[in-house]
Amino acid sequence: MTMMNALSRHLVIRGVELLGLLTLAVLGLTLGHSPYALGLLTLLAIYAISLIGLDATVGYLGQVNLAHAGFMGLGGYAAGLMVAHFGVGLLPALCVSIVIGLVLGGLLAVPALRLEGPQFALATLSFGTFAVLCLNELESITNGAQGLTLVRPALLGKGTLDALSFYWLCLALLAFVWLGARRLMEGRWGRAIAALKDSPIATDAMGIGALRHKVLAFAFGSALGAFAGGLYAFNLGFLQPQAFGYELSVTLLLGSVLGGRKTVWGALVGAGLVVLLPNLLSNRSVFLVFAGVGAVLAIGRALLAASRREWSFAILAPALAMVLLLGIALKTPDLESWRKGLFALILFAVVVGLPDGLMGFVSQTLARLVRLPQPPLPPAAALDAVLPVRPARGATVLDVSGLKLYFGGVRAIDGVSLSVAPGEVLGLIGPNGSGKSSLVNVVTGLYVPTEGSVTLDGSRIEAKGLLAASRHGVSRTFQNLQIFGDLSALDNVSVSLRGAYRLMWPLVAAGLGHAEEQAAQSHALALLELVGLTEKARIRARDLTYSDQRFMEIARALASRPTLLVLDEPAAGMSRPDVAKLKTVIARIKARGISIILIEHHLDVVAELTDRVVVLDGGKEIAQGVAEDVRRNPLVIEAYLGSAAHTEAAA
Amino acid sequence: MNRTGYAVALALLSLAGAAQADSIKIALTGPFSGGSAPMGVSTRDGAKLAIQEINAAGGIKIGAKKYTLDVVERDDEAKNERGALVAQELSSMTDLVAVVGTANTGVVLAGDKFYQQAKKPRIISVAAGSAAMGQWTKEPTVVPKGELYAFRFSANDGVQSEVIIEDAVKRQGLKKLAILADDTNYGVSGRDDLVKRLAAIPGVEVVANEKFSIGQKDMTAQLLKAKSAGAQGLFVVGIGPELAAIANGMGKLGYKVPFMGSWTLSMGNFLDNAGAAANGAMMPQTFIQEDFTPRARSFIAAYKAAYKVDRIPSPVSAAQGYDSIKLLAAAIEQAGSTDGTAIKNALENLNKPVEGAIAKWSHPYSTWDPAHPESHEAFRKERVVVGVAKDGHVTFAHEEDKKRLEALDR
Amino acid sequence: MDFSIFGQMAESGAAMGMAYALIAYGFQLTYAPSKSVNFGQAECVMLSAFIALTLIGTGMNYALAVVLTLLAGSLLGMLVERVAVRLALQQKNEGWILLTIIFGLFGGSVAENVWGRDDRPLPTPIPGDPIAIGSISVTWYEISIVVGALALMVVIELFRRKTLLGKAVEAVAADPEVAGLMGINSNTAIALAYALSGATAAFAGILIAPITTVGPTMAAGLILKAFSVAVVAGLESGFGVIVAGLVLGMLESLTSVYVGSGWREAPGIILLVAILALRPNGLFGKATVRKV
Repeated sequence: MTMMNALSRHLVIRGVELLGLLTLAVLGLTLGHSPYALGLLTLLAIYAISLIGLDATVGYLGQVNLAHAGFMGLGGYAAGLMVAHFGVGLLPALCVSIVIGLVLGGLLAVPALRLEGPQFALATLSFGTFAVLCLNELESITNGAQGLTLVRPALLGKGTLDALSFYWLCLALLAFVWLGARRLMEGRWGRAIAALKDSPIATDAMGIGALRHKVLAFAFGSALGAFAGGLYAFNLGFLQPQAFGYELSVTLLLGSVLGGRKTVWGALVGAGLVVLLPNLLSNRSVFLVFAGVGAVLAIGRALLAASRREWSFAILAPALAMVLLLGIALKTPDLESWRKGLFALILFAVVVGLPDGLMGFVSQTLARLVRLPQPPLPPAAALDAVLPVRPARGATVLDVSGLKLYFGGVRAIDGVSLSVAPGEVLGLIGPNGSGKSSLVNVVTGLYVPTEGSVTLDGSRIEAKGLLAASRHGVSRTFQNLQIFGDLSALDNVSVSLRGAYRLMWPLVAAGLGHAEEQAAQSHALALLELVGLTEKARIRARDLTYSDQRFMEIARALASRPTLLVLDEPAAGMSRPDVAKLKTVIARIKARGISIILIEHHLDVVAELTDRVVVLDGGKEIAQGVAEDVRRNPLVIEAYLGSAAHTEAAA
Repeated sequence: MNRTGYAVALALLSLAGAAQADSIKIALTGPFSGGSAPMGVSTRDGAKLAIQEINAAGGIKIGAKKYTLDVVERDDEAKNERGALVAQELSSMTDLVAVVGTANTGVVLAGDKFYQQAKKPRIISVAAGSAAMGQWTKEPTVVPKGELYAFRFSANDGVQSEVIIEDAVKRQGLKKLAILADDTNYGVSGRDDLVKRLAAIPGVEVVANEKFSIGQKDMTAQLLKAKSAGAQGLFVVGIGPELAAIANGMGKLGYKVPFMGSWTLSMGNFLDNAGAAANGAMMPQTFIQEDFTPRARSFIAAYKAAYKVDRIPSPVSAAQGYDSIKLLAAAIEQAGSTDGTAIKNALENLNKPVEGAIAKWSHPYSTWDPAHPESHEAFRKERVVVGVAKDGHVTFAHEEDKKRLEALDR
Repeated sequence: MDFSIFGQMAESGAAMGMAYALIAYGFQLTYAPSKSVNFGQAECVMLSAFIALTLIGTGMNYALAVVLTLLAGSLLGMLVERVAVRLALQQKNEGWILLTIIFGLFGGSVAENVWGRDDRPLPTPIPGDPIAIGSISVTWYEISIVVGALALMVVIELFRRKTLLGKAVEAVAADPEVAGLMGINSNTAIALAYALSGATAAFAGILIAPITTVGPTMAAGLILKAFSVAVVAGLESGFGVIVAGLVLGMLESLTSVYVGSGWREAPGIILLVAILALRPNGLFGKATVRKV
């Protein structure tokens, strides 16, 4: 019975996709005689490919990418020049486009590495502008502003390809890219990139690699953009640098947002709107119908919210925008002159009112109306397979020696030495600002110490960042949660598994990644079982309760089979029953032979679970020993509560 | 569309409504936005004036019935790619009879192949780059005798540069010249033509050859290079806003030398934005907004009345748009059908003179011959005069030009 | 002969550079309290210039028209904040990038339809004749850009440091939570910052209009250049934008004459990307420490 349901769900989703592609095919057959309509449909397929690429940086990475048109231009010219100067066929020319996109995309990602938000947008804008500038100025190669006229070559060389065959080619390529991209993005790469969007810090700390995936996302997206650009060049038979400037980048960006993020359907819908909007505008009555429907929906939603007294900008503003849209549309006989403005209003309504884009909204609504069961999860693997017991190797696992960390005049750590034995739980306590977090940040590779060394399992940890430390065998949770909010609990853990994904991407794109995916899921389930979150595996991390998120972070930190686990205030904000559960979890981890550094304020947690405690104050160690003894140490009391005289006076 | 445009449109619509299905659809294309807009808008408005007059007189007679002219407008934004899309769309419209307009050479180059493929007659009303016709004379796009559907109704840059060079070299005696051209197809085509012709004149040297791009406002670099090379005069090829930037730049640098160039120096947005710096600029023109002939007078009066302006944004474009329609209407009537090939043949063999705003046109075109592209060009050198900018208007630079046109008209 | 070309180009570059610096300064004003900037600033410059055109066209006193345009620019800035920025700030995401781009798109369309798509001159009492300083020609327009930009920046700085409102904005910039606890409404402070930014955009539009003419594309390349100036100087570098503006303006101008006019934007872009890669906080900005 469940098999049938799972199969039927699969069939329904794939069936709908097939329907979409079939519709395009049918349209091609029926409208193929009109070169104009055919040109538009081909353009739609090309833009859809481009937007699937753009989704990698905009939908998954969550950044504003204004370089995409530039990549289309570079890909277009690369293919065009190959044909014009070397007479190669269509397919080899397109391969050149892809390579150009990959290489330049990867190169652009390097300086754009550390950038977020507006700076990233600016860097991409600069690249896009520069690409067009070069295409315009290198007249001897590209014919500059006057443009390049191209003849569409046959697939492999001799002769030309007619428009209808070209359309079928583009459709076939779209289907190919669609399937491949979907498989890749629904698998570990998409998850890793989405993780990167939610928390680059955790992405590094869990050993996934923020840099690597950022570059991959950008290179992948740009390669598809360049590929689409190559097709674009041969669709129109004419290339001009100015066509690939800021305006096109904004159009693509907005098309992507309009269609919806993280969905290939969104790319198709977005592409459709972008390509067909000008035509829609020249047919006034059709546009008015669409605008009317949109306005009714937006106003209806606003009225519904108003009746519940839920006044919010996100509900009201789209309604106002749609009213303005209708107003302009009704008052202007020539809609084409308001094209940019009308596009902007539609976008505003969607960006504010439907943050997941049109397809996001549609799929969410459909999910609520039509309940298709999810495919069942595989059984959890045995814990021994996922997290084997660590044999003790050597006397100490972690050695910190003479550590100093100064930030200008602030001495965060002022000469601390400690060590952690295999399988030991070391408590690290001290008042706020004593240097606990700074210490673990050095141990986990985030900060470069001013002096001193950190050695793990005999080899020195160079402060080369969270990723290197993670590879070394250190894992951690965070005082301020760094969950991958958009991913499910299960995905949070599975994306962090080390060595679980070995299959090369072409094979995954071809659809052969299923077995590996199942194995990874069963491993991840084992870890979720350890922390007691098995039933909540499918819930999106940001929708979990606060305590559950903390437990999930622990499971996630274990995914990389660490030698040393740092828990940074895991009990903060937890209720009593949850604290009790936490103690059980930590005991289980300890039983696996993993050494733990535990930063905590909850004294009973410290007392029960730690083997030893180190107390810091003002960047220096002031006491060390068993929790019981440390608690009675006068220095410790003074550090926490002030001098004895003061406490007496206060009492 | 401005209010006066509405009036014309309403008139058209009402008349078209009266005639119902008995209408002939033609398309007007051109840049209705951007720096080229004065050209596109004037062409369209001039054309619509002609259409209104024709419709008011009952329309075009085919067989026993009279057909009114119905208009479809498309803005190509002076962008080649958009032009190609527009051309693709229009050539797919089966009920579209002909296309008139286009001001930018690049747009013609990108789009006209679609009209040719669809066998739709088209008249280029403004675009002057020789490449626009030149593309049909050589491989890979050569068109055999008698099979070209594109006609040009404007003075191409070959004719224009001949006229303006004559003025500069013979009349003004300039020997060292600098060329400033924009980087579009039009600018490059015009520049190449100038260079070729100047090279053939002994004793005359091109001392500086600079380019600029659309949207550029600061021309100091190019002007300084021309100045330091000792240029005695400047030839400029571009459109209104950039030409104004050059004129203003010259003013800023205190660089006062004869300033000549493409016909686009008559555009309203050049005159307005350059202000006093525009005075003295000279350009070849096929039409000047002055009452130098009765037909010019009546056209100007009709245009002013219909569109409520004092100065036509681009008089050349307006007059050429008007006359293009007149020629097309005559051809359709002569062909007695809306078949593209029949209209093309009729245009090549007009047997009755057509009264236009610029002239009385007798057999302006002949059967297409790729060896002689002028077979589809309406303007020869004698029809082109030199205009000069003065206080926001363009007037005749030389009295004898004015007299020659008056004589041609008799 | 060579120095005069160099000097002339440096001069005209420096003048435009001051215009970029003024707009970059406007970016800083909003970045400080809200970590956001208006990606549609170019359209705000353009809309304000058109408003000035209309006002002056009614025949009113030029100075009055300027003041009213500044006011209009401020209102425009506040509109941007309310419509495009506030929601994203509340949701603590970067949606304002997209929304301000969308706002700019809409603004551009409004301008095209209300005022037409043509470029037009802005009537100004500033004389157009050049003055010769040595072998270099300077126009009063260019002088007005330099003087005007500096004057407005000084006025706004004084406002920020000496008035209570200005200090309130500073407080929000330093720590919004604490400022809130002290009774300063961060929404109002940010709206005020955007109003000031809108005023700088409006003033920039008026200053550059005599050179660029007023048209829908008058500020087209401006966004990237002003941004480059802001980022190269550092988004919190105060008057560092003046240095960066002058340098980038001159670099652009000199490239156009010595390398080629089409390449003139290249050095600015390369410099921008280099700074973003190597010193993301700008040449004059302060380095920040990441806290986990």
